[in-house]
Amino acid sequence: MITGNLKSSYATDEQVLNNRWKRLFLWLCIAGLGLIAAFGNNYIILIACQMGIMLIAVTGVNVVIGYTGLMSLGHAAFLAIGAYAVVIFHNAAGAIIPESLLTLAAIPFAVLVSAIAGVIVGLPSLRVKGLYLAVATLSANFIVLFLIEESFSAPWTGGVNGINTPTPNLLGWEMDTRREQFVLIATLAVLGLLAAQNLFRTRVGRAFIAIRDRDYSAEILGISLYRYKLISFAISAAYCGLAGALFAYFYARILPEQFELHLSLMLVAAIIVGGMGRTMGPVFGVIIIVMVPELIKVVFGALAGGGAELAMIRAPIQEIAFGALIVGFLLFEPFGITQIVDRGLRALNRWPFARG
Amino acid sequence: MGQLLQYGINGLMAGAIYALIAVGIVSVFKATRVVNFAHGYLIMFGAYFYFTFAVLVPQAAWAPEWLQSWRPDWMIEMREGLPMFSPLAAVLDWLANGPRILLGLAGALICNALLGLLIERTLMRPLMGQSVFAMIMLTVGLISILSGSAQLIWTSDAEFVPALAPNTPIRFELFGQMIFLFGADLANMVIALVIFAAIVAMVRYTKSGVAIRATAEDQSTAYSMGISVPKVFSRAWVLASTTGAIAGAILATRNGISPALGLFGFSVLAIVLMGGLDSYLGVFLAAMIVGVLEALAQWQLGGEWAEIVPYVAVLLVILIRPHGLFGTREIERI
Amino acid sequence: MLSVQDLHLSFGGIKALQGVSFTARRGQITAIIGPNGAGKTSLFNAISGFYRPDRGKVVFDGQDIFALRPDRRAALGIARTFQNIALFRGMSVLDNIKLGAHTRLGAGVFDALRYFGRAQAEELALRADIEARIIDFLEIDHIRKAPISALPYGLQKRVELGRALAMQPRLLMLDEPVAGMNREETEDMARFILDVQEEFDITILLVEHDMHLVMDICSHVVVLNFGQQIAEGTPDQVRRDPAVIEAYLGAAA
Repeated sequence: MITGNLKSSYATDEQVLNNRWKRLFLWLCIAGLGLIAAFGNNYIILIACQMGIMLIAVTGVNVVIGYTGLMSLGHAAFLAIGAYAVVIFHNAAGAIIPESLLTLAAIPFAVLVSAIAGVIVGLPSLRVKGLYLAVATLSANFIVLFLIEESFSAPWTGGVNGINTPTPNLLGWEMDTRREQFVLIATLAVLGLLAAQNLFRTRVGRAFIAIRDRDYSAEILGISLYRYKLISFAISAAYCGLAGALFAYFYARILPEQFELHLSLMLVAAIIVGGMGRTMGPVFGVIIIVMVPELIKVVFGALAGGGAELAMIRAPIQEIAFGALIVGFLLFEPFGITQIVDRGLRALNRWPFARG
Repeated sequence: MGQLLQYGINGLMAGAIYALIAVGIVSVFKATRVVNFAHGYLIMFGAYFYFTFAVLVPQAAWAPEWLQSWRPDWMIEMREGLPMFSPLAAVLDWLANGPRILLGLAGALICNALLGLLIERTLMRPLMGQSVFAMIMLTVGLISILSGSAQLIWTSDAEFVPALAPNTPIRFELFGQMIFLFGADLANMVIALVIFAAIVAMVRYTKSGVAIRATAEDQSTAYSMGISVPKVFSRAWVLASTTGAIAGAILATRNGISPALGLFGFSVLAIVLMGGLDSYLGVFLAAMIVGVLEALAQWQLGGEWAEIVPYVAVLLVILIRPHGLFGTREIERI
Repeated sequence: MLSVQDLHLSFGGIKALQGVSFTARRGQITAIIGPNGAGKTSLFNAISGFYRPDRGKVVFDGQDIFALRPDRRAALGIARTFQNIALFRGMSVLDNIKLGAHTRLGAGVFDALRYFGRAQAEELALRADIEARIIDFLEIDHIRKAPISALPYGLQKRVELGRALAMQPRLLMLDEPVAGMNREETEDMARFILDVQEEFDITILLVEHDMHLVMDICSHVVVLNFGQQIAEGTPDQVRRDPAVIEAYLGAAA
């Protein structure tokens, strides 16, 4: 039971980590990441990096869908923009900016470009709500990929064949192994998560939630729907742009098909599974969404030992499992894993005096 | 000018099929307020069912000979000596395929109806009365389930499926221009338009149509007025899945069968929103406009451009008219 | 403070407001009354900017606000509550009230993402201010962390008033503040309204069906019927006005 929760100032009452268990949990998480960076084998590093990149993107999607209540099915487009922005920036500015500063400039550039794209894609949100917006963003996803693939942009983007990506270089530290990149990804993911948490302790985040819950009421409090919907889109697109930039650095080559609708759906699925409008939602969601296909892969590996027959049906089964996760959570736990965790913590907190 | 006319007509024929697909989305939306993002994948299942019953079943060892190819003596007699591209020969070939086409259509209709019912009963009904967001996201999850299942069930490669009508080339003159089309395409358009019109008439003039409209207006009031809302839901889903089956069969004959058929659903979704979601007329016009624009884009700019026409069109329309061309604007009461 | 001149509003063929004109004087409580469907809430919506009237003028503190969006009007100092409570049900009482202060705060997106520094200072100052001025005043300190959905109706109304007060408005518009309340809750609310007027020096405009409340606390009454303004004056004048009696009781009376 957590006791001794008495506060003597508003400042302590406003803290997010308002008891030592929460603080302990945060430090344990950071220590865990450190351990992975130091001792994780290649497979663990690979999975952790994938999760980190996804986490950044899903945190962004959570801002716009979970907190602001604007349905978007096109956020893969912003990852694409971020990823291609990095590559194009490296190729275009490589001659002017010294190698050691290139990454430091390219990532903000990618984030900025994505944020601007977010404002443009978010424009329909001023006029339409709910599912119109879902379709508008979905359309944006198709259109962005089309623009990347088309022949007029092929000299910069490589068209459908994709393009090779540069190695990140932070002030002379060339991150040419995945382990080094993991440090970068994990740091940015943790910072991103903390920043998102901060957002919702202030007027900006509260305005988002107000728009989600009751938009006319938000307006009467002086919240400009126009401005805040666009800010929300811009922030979420910026997160996705950052994720895209890291994605480009992480893989040797990027292809338009990596940013198709499926990725957008994965981002949305992650917050449904994890819990919409909750800070930890993206964390839980990403772990599940990345781990389930991996588990299926492992199980299949054990069963078939690489048999071609079984390998053929692995991909469809992974796809079905992915859909089943969305459907299952919506039907049985619509508020996601955070809800399960909350329930567990509450029970733990009351134990042994009461159950549930 | 001649080219323009030709492409315009091609576009109208494609537009009619879009309209047929759209009718499923609109009907489900009208009854349940849910926009079915997985409708394209229902259509894909329709196409695969048609393929199963029109190609796989007749090929099976136990299937009677006439199911595969029905050639009574009089037909062989008539067929003899006809030149290669004679219209009569095309009609006879089609007749020979008749039994398996009918079996394919019947199988696709029944199986898809059952699939629609299954989805409605097991997935949509438990969420009845809950947030529309959850229901829409559920259909998004359905996308993956359906597309994965199809790949599991039908591993064989796409094969040629028999067209619904004699595929004889037709040439005629219009405003002094030679126009060239295939009979099957024309028949597909007629089928699509007839079904579309029938459904609109059904919703407008029959009792179950009134029930659908009442449910669309206000679910709980309709329920308390003695309308069985769950029944309306199932009917809407069956309607969507059966029209989807026919659309799937048509698409299978036009574009071949592949999991990519599901993507049609998204462009049609764009068309539906462009037309206004709950307006059959608006959706019909939008389908025709997009069909023609696609054909023109294909002609002038190339195939890839045609693919994004619906998405660009819907964005433009939404920005100018947020509720589509003919959609009802909901007046918000505060 | 607020003056409405010759306001006309219609939805399609329905004329919701036809030539409504009145003035709410600074520091006073003005009531708008009338039978159901008389256009009271439409008038509120027109003043707060949700409905765009066909013609007429809305002047607030010498400034014509006819063309402003609702959020701009709020920033000028117009606050309101809703007939059917429009609180954010998922949030706590405290967060709801903090939202009221939105326009008074200045932290931007980058301050917010960083939190420590400007945003934190601002939030802590806001918290102290809200605690002292609103939570204490409205006697809701025991529920400050409770989610809105867990509160009884009367308390929700009080929280909504608190949220409006957090805006530090110059004009407070209350849409049926005591609708559905029992005698005791009504009296509590009446006391709060009078206290607000006294302590914060706010001009109040209210729509209300409870005639006792209106006659007791208002200094000026505007009567609407079928979108038309049929009387205006002090409670006593209005009470004796034949047009008002007819509207409420029918011609036979």
